[in-house]
Amino acid sequence: MAVNRRKLGALLGALLVTAVVAGTAGASPQGTPGVSKKQIVIGGTFPLSGFAALYKTIPAAEQAYYAYVNAKGGVFHRKIKDIVLDDQYDPSQTVPQTTKLVEQDHIFADVGSLGTAPILSTWNYLNKKKVPQVLVATGDAFWGNCVHHACQGSTKPWTLGWQPDYPGEAKLYAHYIVAHNAKAKIGVLYQNDAYGKNYLAGLKTGLGGHANQIVDAESYNLGDSAQVIAAHVVKLRAASADTFVIFATPTATIQSLVARTLVGWSPDTFVNNVSANRIFELAAAKNGANLNGIISTGYVGSQTLTPNTPGMKLAKSIIHQYAPGGVGTLDQDFAAGDLNLVYGLASAWTFVDALKHAGKNPTRASLMKALRNLDEPKNPFVFPGITIKTTAKRGFPMEQLTMTKWSGGATGDWHPFGKVIGGLH
Amino acid sequence: MATVESSPRPGFRSRRTDVGSFPIVVGLLVAGAAFLLVGCLRSATFAQLTVQGLALGAVYGSLALALVLVYRATRVINFAQGELAMATTYLAWQLIQWGLSYWEAFFATLAIAFVLGALLEVVLIRPVLHRSAIAAVIVTVGLFILIDGIVNWLWGGGFKALPPPFGTTIYHVGGVAIARLYLGMIAVVLVSVALVWLLFRFTKLGLGMRAAALRPAEAALVGVRVDRMLAIGWGLATVLGAVAGLMAAPSQYLLDPTLMQPILVYAFAAAVLGGLESPTGAVVGGLIIGVTLTLIVQYVPAITSELQLPFAFAVLIVVLLIKPSGLFGRREVRRV
Amino acid sequence: MSRLPALVSLAVVAGVLAVLPFLLSGYHVSLVAQVGIFFIGVLGLNILTGYTGQISIGHGAFMAIGGYTTAVLSRDHDTNLVVTMFAAFALCFVFGVLVGLPALRFSGVYLALVTFALAVSVPQLPLKWSKFLGGRDGVQTSRTVSHLWLYGAAWTASAVLFVLAWLILRGRVGRAFRAVRDSEIAAVASGVELPLYKTLAFGISAAYAGVAGSLFVLATNGFAAPDEFGVVLSLQLLIGAAVAGLGSLWGILAGAAFVGLLPSVSTSVPVVGSEHGRDVVFGAAVILVMLLLPDGFAGLLARARRIARA
Repeated sequence: MAVNRRKLGALLGALLVTAVVAGTAGASPQGTPGVSKKQIVIGGTFPLSGFAALYKTIPAAEQAYYAYVNAKGGVFHRKIKDIVLDDQYDPSQTVPQTTKLVEQDHIFADVGSLGTAPILSTWNYLNKKKVPQVLVATGDAFWGNCVHHACQGSTKPWTLGWQPDYPGEAKLYAHYIVAHNAKAKIGVLYQNDAYGKNYLAGLKTGLGGHANQIVDAESYNLGDSAQVIAAHVVKLRAASADTFVIFATPTATIQSLVARTLVGWSPDTFVNNVSANRIFELAAAKNGANLNGIISTGYVGSQTLTPNTPGMKLAKSIIHQYAPGGVGTLDQDFAAGDLNLVYGLASAWTFVDALKHAGKNPTRASLMKALRNLDEPKNPFVFPGITIKTTAKRGFPMEQLTMTKWSGGATGDWHPFGKVIGGLH
Repeated sequence: MATVESSPRPGFRSRRTDVGSFPIVVGLLVAGAAFLLVGCLRSATFAQLTVQGLALGAVYGSLALALVLVYRATRVINFAQGELAMATTYLAWQLIQWGLSYWEAFFATLAIAFVLGALLEVVLIRPVLHRSAIAAVIVTVGLFILIDGIVNWLWGGGFKALPPPFGTTIYHVGGVAIARLYLGMIAVVLVSVALVWLLFRFTKLGLGMRAAALRPAEAALVGVRVDRMLAIGWGLATVLGAVAGLMAAPSQYLLDPTLMQPILVYAFAAAVLGGLESPTGAVVGGLIIGVTLTLIVQYVPAITSELQLPFAFAVLIVVLLIKPSGLFGRREVRRV
Repeated sequence: MSRLPALVSLAVVAGVLAVLPFLLSGYHVSLVAQVGIFFIGVLGLNILTGYTGQISIGHGAFMAIGGYTTAVLSRDHDTNLVVTMFAAFALCFVFGVLVGLPALRFSGVYLALVTFALAVSVPQLPLKWSKFLGGRDGVQTSRTVSHLWLYGAAWTASAVLFVLAWLILRGRVGRAFRAVRDSEIAAVASGVELPLYKTLAFGISAAYAGVAGSLFVLATNGFAAPDEFGVVLSLQLLIGAAVAGLGSLWGILAGAAFVGLLPSVSTSVPVVGSEHGRDVVFGAAVILVMLLLPDGFAGLLARARRIARA
């Protein structure tokens, strides 16, 4: 009968598909996942497309660094394989991608993943499975505060940040304002989420008794048009602020800097270091923003300001030679001053340093131990004078920043000034 | 085309005729304009926001114009209109990278957009036009996803921007800063809608397009190449979408694959507000929405910026409930 | 569909699903669970679009409501996760009816526009009420579930909801739905209460999407955030319903598998590569399917059946 044959065919087809799929399931490894005699497999999730894709140069630089290390023999004769997956900054994609990395690709560690919400969607899972979730590319304070103290019901000892955290950074701006303009009337533009709100909270903490000098704090949402951002800037000006603090992601920062000049307002302006990447300020200047005198902070080396230091020369040659898309494909970006590339190199350097300290036969536990006992005063890609250090008491690897100021107009750059400042906490 | 869009339930008593509503609409618009003028004169902040709202509205209006054109020609809402606009903007960027000036790239892109739009209509839309209504919608949805993927693939997520087309000059008029960019954007959209109006009113091509959309069978009988009209309609719409993108990117100071996505919803609201059949309505609707959004977010504390999209949604619903043919549309009768 | 082939179909599907978890690795189990989640959503939307002819590009909004219901109830009251799914069903039914009522006034294209605007607006609301709904950084359930639990829950819910749909559609309600789709004028003429049935269809499809949304959040490690409920989710549901076609269990399975698996599979396509294969391949596949199979997979099966009998 036609009906039965069709059903049988469908059943056979389903079983065939099942067999094929089952066959592709990775074989269970012996010993430590991701570590074999010749290779260490790591991975991470990044926004390679979608609205946050301007950060994709970070994993590109990391892959370049690992390729460089591999060319020199690897770590204890093992080559590093870094699987970079796209999650479009969407937690509902981060989760299956991370599951794939852990259960399919059997990564040794989740390294460098980007984005607060994506990390939050996987940190329970990774901590439960005791997979290191390290050097995450976000400055939220969770990654340092939840090691010994329970967050969402449990401690997260397997999660570690890297860059100086946002609230700490905001405190620095607060101290600077109080020191240079104690009667400042402060207007803040911040992103309407934990990223922006944590910055604002850090600013208030740093201002202490001066916190009531914040005359207006305007929040905007990711995806707001430049015109709506400009409306917020207009409002801040109308509140008579003479100091403007921008806690935003790069797009909105560029738009507020342009708006500020557009409406003829020239307050003392502070920009967060996520947005203080030269390529963004150049874009703002191209659209008429007047940037001289705006202040931010930095923690990685600058390839445009100090191209001849050994670190920046090494950076240039690695990015040229080992760019994942092919030799020379990232050169233009590097030359324009994209700090993300230096960030990626610096972060990867930290990982390799920790890996070396994890022993000849690293385990996830030994890697974590090495990462909780970092001592890197001389990471070549980090701003000179800034040390990367972790201890039992210190959960934030970077606790120092240098203040920077923009000069040179539309073809200028961020110039560090003063001493390296510590004590973000 | 068998049935034509309208909203009344069978048996529902029809309201006042639409002949009478045109003066009311004009009256409302004049009142609105007067309100804005008074506000601008009394407060520099209000004026500043109005100017910004108009610039924003120009972008919404341009994209709405494209949507209306497609709808008039083929009775399809092109969900991929925004992505097409974004893709053509990236093409312009690429041309500029290869050495063209902004305006050279602008016009070259318009030409490419026309061909692209016509091709898409012939290859993808025409085969499904006469099937289920849902099929055409799904094809444009698939196109949305496909174009997004292709643009991300070819041009990636790296930071890009278009050079400012009207320079960075700012005029200061009585405490209000008016960027030359804004004036340029508004001028471009007004010129576009004027050209479209002229096309439909005074040219044989325009007449042919209107006939092909409204009465295809009869039009074919009198020698109108209906097929060609459909393709030209899509080509023109894609050109207008490209204009929208080429204005939107400089207005946001950067070029990003998500550029047109927020704009699409507002463009839908603008098109419906103006009337899905009316090019003038689309632009007026866009300007209204742009200004209203900017002012409301500022002056109505309860409506903070996360409520902008829900606000646009509310506008859509209210318009469709009260006057579904929009400000400038004519109510059409449903043939049984 | 007469009874015997239907029962055989069901038995085959149930059998394969029962056996699969033992043959697949954890990651693949989670992928098949994902198909189950889309099965529920596509089934619901099929009732609305296929049976009453109302096009909705906004059911992602109902998934969001259902997902947040589960997340918030679990976070604040540690509610049993299955109970939250019932709550999502009920709450989304109500919202579906609320949306369905004004939707009566809109037809075809206008309804598509309105539901599209709904899809982009609803995910903005957690940003507004961020204390309660977590803002951009989301809401985390108090418990998380294993791949196996998710698989079991998704497919059990699918089975239950499929039977429910079958019961609804074979009775008076189903006949009324079909009458509405085929000709509203004729339906009213023969006494069908149009507003009641059209609104009911909206409510039911929204309730189904709500359950799918609950499971969707549980599949995301119990984390609900606005970025998960973008417009593409609503598009995926609609695409799934269109690919499924009408009136066939296999069609709905095919539709669910198409939207549930194709994006993950696309990332292994060569040339376009892991970064962008997802959208390019998926988008192209959608267009091709619509051009070649306008009646969806169900239409293809019907044609095959006719050929087999000839």
